[in-house]
Amino acid sequence: MKILKILPLGIFFIIIFFLFKGLNLHPDIIPSPLINKPAPLFALPTLDNPKKIVTNHDFLHHITLLNVWASWCTTCADEHEFLIKLAKNTDIILYGFNYKDDLTNAKKWLAEYGNPYQIIVVDQQGLSAIDWGVYGTPETFLIDQQGIVRYKVIGSLTQEKWDRELWPLIKKIQKERT
Amino acid sequence: MLPELGTFALILAFLLALLQCVAPILVLGFKKNHAFFELSLFGSIGQFIFLSFAMLCLMMSFINNDLTVLYIREHSHQLLPFIYRIGAAWGGHEGSFLLWCLVLSTWTLSFILFAKKSLENTFFYRVLMVLGFLSAGFILFLLVTSNPFARDFPTRPLIGDDLTPLLQDPGLLFHPPILYSGYVGFAIGFAVAIAALMEKKFDALTAKILRPWIVLPWAFLGCGIVLGSWWAYRELGWGGWWFWDPVENASLLPWLIATALLHSLIVSEKRNTFKGWTILLAIITFSLSLIGTFLVRSGVLISVHAFASDPTRGLFLLGYLALIMGGALTLYAFRIKFFYVAPRFQLLSRETFLLLNSVFLLTAMATILLGTLYPIILDALDSDKISVGEPYFNTVFLPIILPLLILMAIAPYVHWGEHRLAYLWKKCGFSLFSSLILGFLIPILLGFQWKLLASIGISIGIWIIISTLQFVLQLWKNHQHLNLKYYSMIIAHLGIAIMTLGITINKSYSEERQVTIATNEIVTLAGYRFSFKDLQKENTKNYQSLLVSFTVQKNKGKSNLLFAEQRVYKSHEQTLSKPGILYNAFRDIYVALGGVTANGAWIVRIYYKPCVRWIWFGGFMLLLGGLITLLNYIWPHKEIEKEINA
Repeated sequence: MKILKILPLGIFFIIIFFLFKGLNLHPDIIPSPLINKPAPLFALPTLDNPKKIVTNHDFLHHITLLNVWASWCTTCADEHEFLIKLAKNTDIILYGFNYKDDLTNAKKWLAEYGNPYQIIVVDQQGLSAIDWGVYGTPETFLIDQQGIVRYKVIGSLTQEKWDRELWPLIKKIQKERT
Repeated sequence: MLPELGTFALILAFLLALLQCVAPILVLGFKKNHAFFELSLFGSIGQFIFLSFAMLCLMMSFINNDLTVLYIREHSHQLLPFIYRIGAAWGGHEGSFLLWCLVLSTWTLSFILFAKKSLENTFFYRVLMVLGFLSAGFILFLLVTSNPFARDFPTRPLIGDDLTPLLQDPGLLFHPPILYSGYVGFAIGFAVAIAALMEKKFDALTAKILRPWIVLPWAFLGCGIVLGSWWAYRELGWGGWWFWDPVENASLLPWLIATALLHSLIVSEKRNTFKGWTILLAIITFSLSLIGTFLVRSGVLISVHAFASDPTRGLFLLGYLALIMGGALTLYAFRIKFFYVAPRFQLLSRETFLLLNSVFLLTAMATILLGTLYPIILDALDSDKISVGEPYFNTVFLPIILPLLILMAIAPYVHWGEHRLAYLWKKCGFSLFSSLILGFLIPILLGFQWKLLASIGISIGIWIIISTLQFVLQLWKNHQHLNLKYYSMIIAHLGIAIMTLGITINKSYSEERQVTIATNEIVTLAGYRFSFKDLQKENTKNYQSLLVSFTVQKNKGKSNLLFAEQRVYKSHEQTLSKPGILYNAFRDIYVALGGVTANGAWIVRIYYKPCVRWIWFGGFMLLLGGLITLLNYIWPHKEIEKEINA
């Protein structure tokens, strides 16, 4: 009989334990299959010069952040402030990946909010984005000197995510080289 | 200005909730003057006023489209129609939690109005104390992590994100408030259970007083679930009425246990036993409401209902939940020995039947809870990311629910205390045989293919109906037909029977096809001929719609028009496809638009759904049954002295 008295409490704590563990999980984040694999092959024109083509070759020899954005994406506008700050305060190389956008709007948007990107590639049809496994904007990829995808941030890149996830990894990648 | 007043009202409501909780402690724990009790009343009434005021502020700010309020910017737009601005007040996390608090406060106020005079003072104020504690925590949660009035002044132009098109439906106005009335209403039962544990007292009178406070939320929750199911059917375009989505499960779990509680409460009231069990069920019911709230609000599960997740919110909620539930169950463990009553009934008795009812419902709840939490458990153990869906739930739910339904057909005839099998056989033998035969014949007579499971389901549904109607006849013969309490049981049980028939026939004989319909082409499904008729464009204030009409004709019968719709909302060019539905009492014809091909043919999914409306109709009968129980309390009638058949 004694066990019956505390049985409900016991079951309850087991449930609470798993719910607590569940809090730190991110069911909406499906791990990217690209992690630790070479970046998908691509050749895309840049925003300011449609004749200039950027390819995987441009990723080599430096650590790159590739940020997927669009002028129609309101979350991107929220994220933008941080990207500007990042470009100003660090020497990280930030590429933009303009996704399914109207080019005039995209240029207007950058003129208004500022341009943190060194290069912006344009994927108007969203075909290359399929290879990258982009399922929403914004998304940010971290690519190392060998052109290998090391990390993917889904949703807005924030100071918190930068401090906790990206910066430690970048330091680690830099050490790997030396 | 209004949002600031709203925040201020929330702060006052929080302080008043604290007062409601602390004042009884001063009297009971620190032997202060009984006049302090009155402060608790004052706290709960004031709290209701300020929470209502806060809700009003939020609605007014929505109507004014004040986009500097972050919550409003995320859920409104200048083109949003008036009624959805009101509904949008609870269309997202923050607002719906404000609704949660307001509903809790409304329940508390009605408990004060209707139950204060019939309960002992100390018992009553203990209940109020627990409710005040619950309320204070949740208002604090609202203020600290989810203030709907938080302002935000961005540098870019203010444009509202608009309310998700899926929510722009009349369902938004009714489904959340009714569902919450159910969910949150179980707080009263919980508070009474805690008060009973503290007082070491739970007698038949308390059970009788408690009953409407379980029946009413139970009926609301059932109604909310049914409305939600109906809404999903009309909006989502998958032709389904139940998806075993985590959030649907979260609402079903407390409903199942509340059903068990309702029945156990009858035993406590009539036989003065099952006390500990009733108390435990009351605690579990509300715990499941809280776990459900946590699952929906914290974003630990992916669901169509999940709102933006924020770890601090989840942590706060979980901590509070652990405090409430852990405290309640610890108190239960220490105090339950005071409620033990030696059983005074035989194996074959109404008590046993009602106990079995609890056991089956509890098992059903546990399997659904396990299925719902399984993805979290696996993910937490680092094994895998999986989702548990319909195959699991259908497989495990059926074998548990079938015996329960069988019990339902027999239960009305079983007496308190003891019973003889021969009598039951005499009462139920005829109905059993006739329903078995009908269950076998009906699918064949209706021209359906014969399926074993369908026949079993139909037989059980019909058995409950025949057996219940026989019981009504018996009541009339014994001149007990004025006793209302039997009718709530009769109507609720008939509702379940109709639901069973609806679910069985719908699951067994629904048909669907994905087709491309070009002009002048005829497609058939389940004997219905479909052809594409024409396109019409319509323009409203906030969306443009394309109405695609189809003619539907059965054999040589009258041909009917059916309109499926594709909307583009002007605010952010979000599209919404609304299925076209042609319905009558026996079947729905459902057409969902897929897209249009280059040569103008439409890709559509067409469904034939027999008896789907029976499911919701049965659900509304449950509500009706619940409301009839209340009449007992509103119009006290002369207790009919002799128990039925006694």
